[in-house]
Amino acid sequence: MNFRNQLFFLFSLFVTCSVTGQEIMKKKRDFVLISKGTHFVAGSTITLEFKGNSAISCEMYCANSYGSTLVKPQLQGARIFFKIPAYLSTKTGVLNWRIVGLKQPLFGSFKIVPKESPSALETYVGPPSIEAGGSDYSMLVVIPTDNLDNPLRQDTPVSIQQQFLASEKNKLIFTKNLIAFKHIFSPLKTGRMLLSSEVLGLNSKEYDINVMPAIATNFNIYSNRNHTYADGNQITTFTTSIIKDKNNNTISDGNFVYFFITNKIGDLLKTSGTTIAGVATAKIIHPDYEENWNIKAYILGMAESNTLKIKYKKVIANFEVAFIKNNRKVTVGPIKSFMGQLIPDGIQVKISIYKDKKILNEIIKSSREGFVSFNLNQSIYKNGEYDFKISTAKVHKTFQSITLW
Amino acid sequence: MKKTYNRYVITVILVGIAFHGSALFFTLESSYDALTHLFFAEHYVDNWFEPWNTKWYTGFTVMSYPPLVHQSIALLSIIGGLKFGLFTVAFLSIILFITGVYKYSLLITSDRTIASYAAFLAVFSSSFVETLHIFGQIPSIIGIAVLLHALPEIYLWLKTGRYRYLCSSLSLIAVTATSHHVTPIFGMVFFIFPIIGMAVLDLSKDQVGSFKEVNFTLFIKNFKKQFKRIASFSTLSILLIIGCILPYWLNSKNNPITQIPIPHGSRDNFLEITSSGLIFFLIPWGVLLFLWPYFFYRFFSKRYLFFGLSFSLLVILGTGATTPIPKILLGENAFNILTLDRFTFWASIMSLPLFGEFTHRFMVGDLKKFTQRRFGKLYYRLLGCFFVGLFLFMTIFTMSLGYFRPSQPKKIKMLPILNFLNQDQHDQWRYLTLGFGDQMAWLSAQTKAMTVDGNYHSARRLPELTTRPVERLENSKFTGIAGIGSLQQFLTTPEKYNLKYIFSNDKFYDPILYFCGWQRLPQLENGILIWEKLNVPPLTSFLTKEEVATWQKILWGMVPLLALILAFIFNLPSLFVTIFNTKFRPKANYRQYHNHSLSFSKGLLKTMHIWTGLLLITIMYSLYDLYLKNNSQRTPENVITSYYDALDLKELEKSFYYIDPFSNVSISQYMLEIAVTDGLLNSYAKLDALEILILKKTDSLVTLKIATNWITPLEKVSKVNYKTVVKRGKKWYIVPNQLDSDSPPDQLYSNNITKYFNQGRKKISTEQTYHEDVLKQPVLEIISAKLVKFKNHFALIGEIQNIDNVPADIVLKGTLYNDESKELAIYNAKYHVKHKLMPKEISSFRINFEGIAWTKTADAIPETFNPDEFTPIAFEEQPTNFNLQVAGNVSNSDLYKDLALSDLKINSTTIKGTLFNSGLQEITVPQLLISYYDKNKNIVWVDHLFLKRGIKQQRKKYFEYALLKNDSIAIINNDMSNCFVNGLPNKNISSKIVPNRIKKHSTIALQKIIHPNYAYVKIEMNSYIGNPN
Repeated sequence: MNFRNQLFFLFSLFVTCSVTGQEIMKKKRDFVLISKGTHFVAGSTITLEFKGNSAISCEMYCANSYGSTLVKPQLQGARIFFKIPAYLSTKTGVLNWRIVGLKQPLFGSFKIVPKESPSALETYVGPPSIEAGGSDYSMLVVIPTDNLDNPLRQDTPVSIQQQFLASEKNKLIFTKNLIAFKHIFSPLKTGRMLLSSEVLGLNSKEYDINVMPAIATNFNIYSNRNHTYADGNQITTFTTSIIKDKNNNTISDGNFVYFFITNKIGDLLKTSGTTIAGVATAKIIHPDYEENWNIKAYILGMAESNTLKIKYKKVIANFEVAFIKNNRKVTVGPIKSFMGQLIPDGIQVKISIYKDKKILNEIIKSSREGFVSFNLNQSIYKNGEYDFKISTAKVHKTFQSITLW
Repeated sequence: MKKTYNRYVITVILVGIAFHGSALFFTLESSYDALTHLFFAEHYVDNWFEPWNTKWYTGFTVMSYPPLVHQSIALLSIIGGLKFGLFTVAFLSIILFITGVYKYSLLITSDRTIASYAAFLAVFSSSFVETLHIFGQIPSIIGIAVLLHALPEIYLWLKTGRYRYLCSSLSLIAVTATSHHVTPIFGMVFFIFPIIGMAVLDLSKDQVGSFKEVNFTLFIKNFKKQFKRIASFSTLSILLIIGCILPYWLNSKNNPITQIPIPHGSRDNFLEITSSGLIFFLIPWGVLLFLWPYFFYRFFSKRYLFFGLSFSLLVILGTGATTPIPKILLGENAFNILTLDRFTFWASIMSLPLFGEFTHRFMVGDLKKFTQRRFGKLYYRLLGCFFVGLFLFMTIFTMSLGYFRPSQPKKIKMLPILNFLNQDQHDQWRYLTLGFGDQMAWLSAQTKAMTVDGNYHSARRLPELTTRPVERLENSKFTGIAGIGSLQQFLTTPEKYNLKYIFSNDKFYDPILYFCGWQRLPQLENGILIWEKLNVPPLTSFLTKEEVATWQKILWGMVPLLALILAFIFNLPSLFVTIFNTKFRPKANYRQYHNHSLSFSKGLLKTMHIWTGLLLITIMYSLYDLYLKNNSQRTPENVITSYYDALDLKELEKSFYYIDPFSNVSISQYMLEIAVTDGLLNSYAKLDALEILILKKTDSLVTLKIATNWITPLEKVSKVNYKTVVKRGKKWYIVPNQLDSDSPPDQLYSNNITKYFNQGRKKISTEQTYHEDVLKQPVLEIISAKLVKFKNHFALIGEIQNIDNVPADIVLKGTLYNDESKELAIYNAKYHVKHKLMPKEISSFRINFEGIAWTKTADAIPETFNPDEFTPIAFEEQPTNFNLQVAGNVSNSDLYKDLALSDLKINSTTIKGTLFNSGLQEITVPQLLISYYDKNKNIVWVDHLFLKRGIKQQRKKYFEYALLKNDSIAIINNDMSNCFVNGLPNKNISSKIVPNRIKKHSTIALQKIIHPNYAYVKIEMNSYIGNPN
C-alpha cells in the first residue's frame, strides 16, 4: 500500500471507532442530564435533574472553591434530582459535579455568579499618612460584595470621590479580579484628603489620608538675650525662621532641630528645639566667661541654617582671696559682676591644691552671695607648705608657698 | 470505768480556735506562703485533672507540689470562694494540729491530763504560731498533724498486730504524703523509727517487768520477733509515700532541681546573721530553750531513748550553718535545697509532751513541792510568773511579728489591675509585677493573664531564672545585683516572653524600665503604675506544654481525696471516741506505761538553773550589744552608720537629728535641701555597703572617709565621701556639707511644646481595632550599622534617625551569623539608645549580645557583679555577618528633649562639662550617650554615662566622664545590606524619603579629642523624668 492508502485506512478506522464508541456510550448510559442552565445566581436554589434508571444507587459529588460534599438523590419516578446544598450554592465560582456509583462516568460543571446589586463595600485605605510632593502615594481598595459576601462580577464600575483643599474629583474605575483599586499620589500641598466610593448606588463611609509635609529645606536662625554679658545666669534663646519643605509647606510640628555651638577654642556645645508651626526654639544658659560663639542649626541630613555669631563679654575681671584660720579657710570674694553687683549665686570656683608642684586635689564649689569658702581639713592636708590655684570664670590666681598649720 | 468527757481537750480546741481564729484573718494573707497555696488551689478549681499551669514561669506543672491541701481548698471554694477555702482549711489545720499533739502526747506520756497540758501549750507554742501566721505553711502543718495522729496507730499495730491499726496508720501516712512531701520522708526517720524503738522497748518491759531490766540482747530478740510487723509497715508506708504522689516523684526525676541555690535564712550562721537566728531559732524554740536540759534528760531515759537520738539530730540540723554538722549530715546538695527551719519546727513539736509533763509537774506535781521545799513559795511563784510571762511574750511577739517587721508591702487592691487586664484584650500578653511581694500569687489566682514570674521557685524553668539565686523577679532589688541583672534581661528582650505590661508598686524600678524602652500608662486608682512596651507580639493561641500520661493525671486527681476519705473511714470513729468519750473503751495499750514514780533529782534542777542562768546572761549580753550598736550617737562610726541608714530608709527627719545643732541649719531648711535633690542616688538607690575609715581623731572632732556602695536599678554606684563629726556633750554629730547654690535665672517662664495624643480605637468596640484606626509605623532610617568586636565581646553599633513626621518609639533587634549564615545570637538594644525619637532626631545605638549569666552552674557567681557588666555570650563560632531589624511605633510619652550641653572641658583622659535643663520638667536621671569615632570619622563604639543626680528646671549640673582607655576595637563587618526598618529594606526607605541626604551632616556634630585610638566623640543627651507634670 502506498502512503495515501495507508492514511485513508487510518482515517476510516478512526471515524468508525469513534462513531461506534458513541453509540455504545449512548446505549449504556444510565443517567442523562435534563437541566439546561450553565449559570446560576448565588443564593438561588440549584437543582440538577436527571433522567435514568432510578434503581441504581448513586450520589453526586460536588466541589467548588468553598469545599466539596456528596449529595443524595431525590427520586420522582424515573427523574432524579440532586439539590446543591446552600453552603455551596451561595458561593460564586465554578462548581464541578460528578455522579458516583455509575458504571459510566457522568460529570459536568456550571458557574455560580454573584448577585447584581452590592450590599456592602469593603474598603481599605493605606497608608493613612503620606508625604506631600507627588512621589509618595496611598492606595484605595474597594471590594463591592453582594449580601452573600460574594464579590461582584468583573468590571463592576466603582466611582471614587476625592476631596482635597478646594478640589473635588470623581473617577470611575472597574473591578478586576474581584477588587477595584486606585493609587492616590500625594499632592504638593499638605492637608487632609477625604475619600469615598460608590458602587451602583451604594456609598461607602468617609476615609481620610493625611498629607504630611516633606523634609525641610534650609532656614535662618536668630538669637535673643537679655544682655551680652557672660554672667552664667541668663538665658539665650535661639529661634529659627519658619521652616518649609521644598513645596513651601510648613514642616510638621515636632521636627527636631539641632543647634550646634562652636566656642572660642573649637569645642562643640549643643542645644535643641522642636518646631511648632515651623519655628523651633532652643535655650541655653550664658557662659560664665568671655566667649565667641558660632551657632549653626541643622535638621540632620536634610537642611541647615546660616551661621550666627554672638559674643559674650567678660564680667569678672578680678576677685579677692583671703586665707584665715591658720590659712585653712580660703575665702574667695566678693566676686563682682559687670555693674559691681555681687555675682548671682551658683558661679563655679575651683581651687587646685598643689604640694611640691604636684596636684593633690581640686575642689569645685558654687558661690553664695558673692562668696565661696574652702575648708582645708587638717587630716587631709597635713601641716606644711602648699601652692594654690584659684579660678573662676576663666580668671586664675595663684598663691605660692602658703603654710597651713 | 466512768464515762467522762475529756473536758480538757475540748477546752483546748475551743481556746485554740478562738485564739488562732481571731488572728488568722489579719495574718494569714500577709504570710509568706499562704497565697501561693491559694494560687495552686485556684489551678485545681479550673483544671482538676490537668497538671499544666500556664500562668507562671511560661508554664509549669503543679505536680511539683503534693496536691491534697490545694485540692481541698479548691473543693471548699465551690461553697464560698477561694479565700473561704483557704481559711476553712487553715481552721482544720489548727484542729488537726491540736488533736494530733494530744494523741501523740498521750502516746508518749500515757497520761490524759499531761497530754491535755501539752495540747494546751501547743496552741500557744511560738513555733506553731510562726509556721501558721508568719510562714503560712498550711500543708506542712497538716502534714505533721496527720503524722502525729498516725503515731499511736503505728504503735498499736506493732504492739497488738491488729490489722485495723495497720489500715488506719497507713491511711494516715497516705494523707500525710499527699499533703506535704518532705514531712513523711523525714517523719519516717525522726518520728516513726523512734516509735518503733519505743514499741519494742515497751514489749521488752512487759516481759521483764521494768525498764531497768531491759537490756540490749532482749531488745534485739524482741526486735527480731516483731520484725515482720515492722517490715510490713515500713514497706507498705514507703510504697504509699511513693505511690500516692508518684507523679510528683516522676516529675522530680525528670526535672531535677538543677538551679543555683536560693539563699534562705535557715541556712545562715545564726551568730553572724542575727535576724535569721531570731526567725529560725529563737522564735520557734521560744521558752522551750530554757527547758533543753529537762528534754535531754527525759529523752535519754530508756523508754524514750530513740526519741532522744532523733531529738538531738533535729536540734543540730535546725542550727543551719552555725555549725558545720548539718552540711556534713545532709550533704551539699540537700543542704542547699532544704529549708532547715522545719527541723527546728519538728524538734519543738517532738518536745511538746515533755513540755506538758514539765508544766504539769511544775504546777501540780512533784516539781512544785520540790521547788517550794527547797527555795520557798515566793521563789516558786516568781519562777512561775517568769515562765508564764516569757511564754506569753514569745507567743504575742511571734504573732505580731508581721506588724513590727512587715515582710510584705501593704495590701494592694487587685480590682483595678484585674479590670485593666480584662480590658482591650490586655490578657493576650504576659505581665510582670514589681514590688507586690507574695500578693502576686493572689493576683495570678484571680486573672487568666499569665506572668513570666512566679512564686514557687522549685518550678522555675527558664534558664534566665534558674541560673540565678533569685527567688522572684518581683523582688529582685532584694536579691541585689544578680536580681537586677536578671530583671534587666527580661526587660530588654520582652518579646521573647510576650511580656507587654508591668505593674509596678515600687518606684525603685522606674529608671531601668524607662531606659530599657518601656513607657508609662496613666496610674491606676490603687496607685499601681503600669508600664507598657510597644512592638511585642501577643501570645500564640497554642502554648507548648509538657504532657504527662493520662494515668498520672487520674492518679493525681483521685488518690489524694481517696486517701483522705479512707483515713476518715478508718480513724474518725476512734478520734471521736478519744475526744468525746462517747462509749467505753478499754485503755489503749500504751496507757499502761505512765510513770507514776517520777521524782525530780537535785542534779537536774541544778543543771536547769545553771542553763537558765547561762541563757539569761547571753540574752542580757546580746541586748547590751544591741544597745551599743543601736545607740546612734555613741561613737563617730555609729552616727555615720545611723545617718546613712536613715537616709537609705528615707527617714529624713531622723537623719536631721544627727546633724550638728550648732551648724545653724533649721529642720525645715534641711528638709528642703534634701527634698530638692532628686536623682538616681537620692531616689532610686539602696545602700549596699558602708565602709568607714577614720582619718583623723581628736577628742571632740573626727574626720572620716566614707566609702559607700549603692545598688541602683541601673548600675552599681560607688562613692567616697569625707565627713567631719563633732562631739557635743556625750553625743557625736555630723557637720553638714554645703549644698549646690546654683540659682535659676527666671522666676516664671514659658515654653511651647508639641504634645501628641493617640486615640487608639476611635470607636468603642469589642472587636479588633479597625484598620483605619491603626497608625502607620513611623519611618526610620539606619544611617550606619556595623558589627564590632570590643575586647572579647561582639556588639552592633550605629546611628538611627526618625525620618517621619511623628515621634517614634524604637526597638532594635540584632542577630549575628557566621559565614555559613548560621544564627549565633540575637538580642535587643538595652539602654545604649534613645528609645524615643522626635521627628528627624538621631540616636547612636549599641546592641550588646548578652548571654544567660552563669549558665554553667559550676561558674561561681562573681562577688562583685555589676548589673552594667553583663555576661557576653560565649560564641562557639566567629560571628561575621549581622541582621538588624528596627521597628518604629508612634509614641506620645517621654519626649522630653530640653537638655543642653552648655560647657565642655576636655583633656586626654576625661570630658568634663555642664548640662543645662532648659525645659519645664525636672530631669530625674540624665544620661549621656558617647559615641567614639576614628580619624576618618567612622563610628567605632558607643558608651554611656548615667548622672547620679537629677537636674531641676533651669539648673546646671556638672558631669565628668572618663574616656575609654586604649582598648582594642575591631570592625568585623559594616555591610548594611541586611538592615531592615519595619520589615522593609533600609536602602529603599532612605532613597525614597531622603534621596539627597547631606552626607557631611553626619560628621559635623563631632567633638575632637586627643586620644591614641579615637579622634572624635559625639555626645548625645537622654533624660528620664521621674515625676512628669
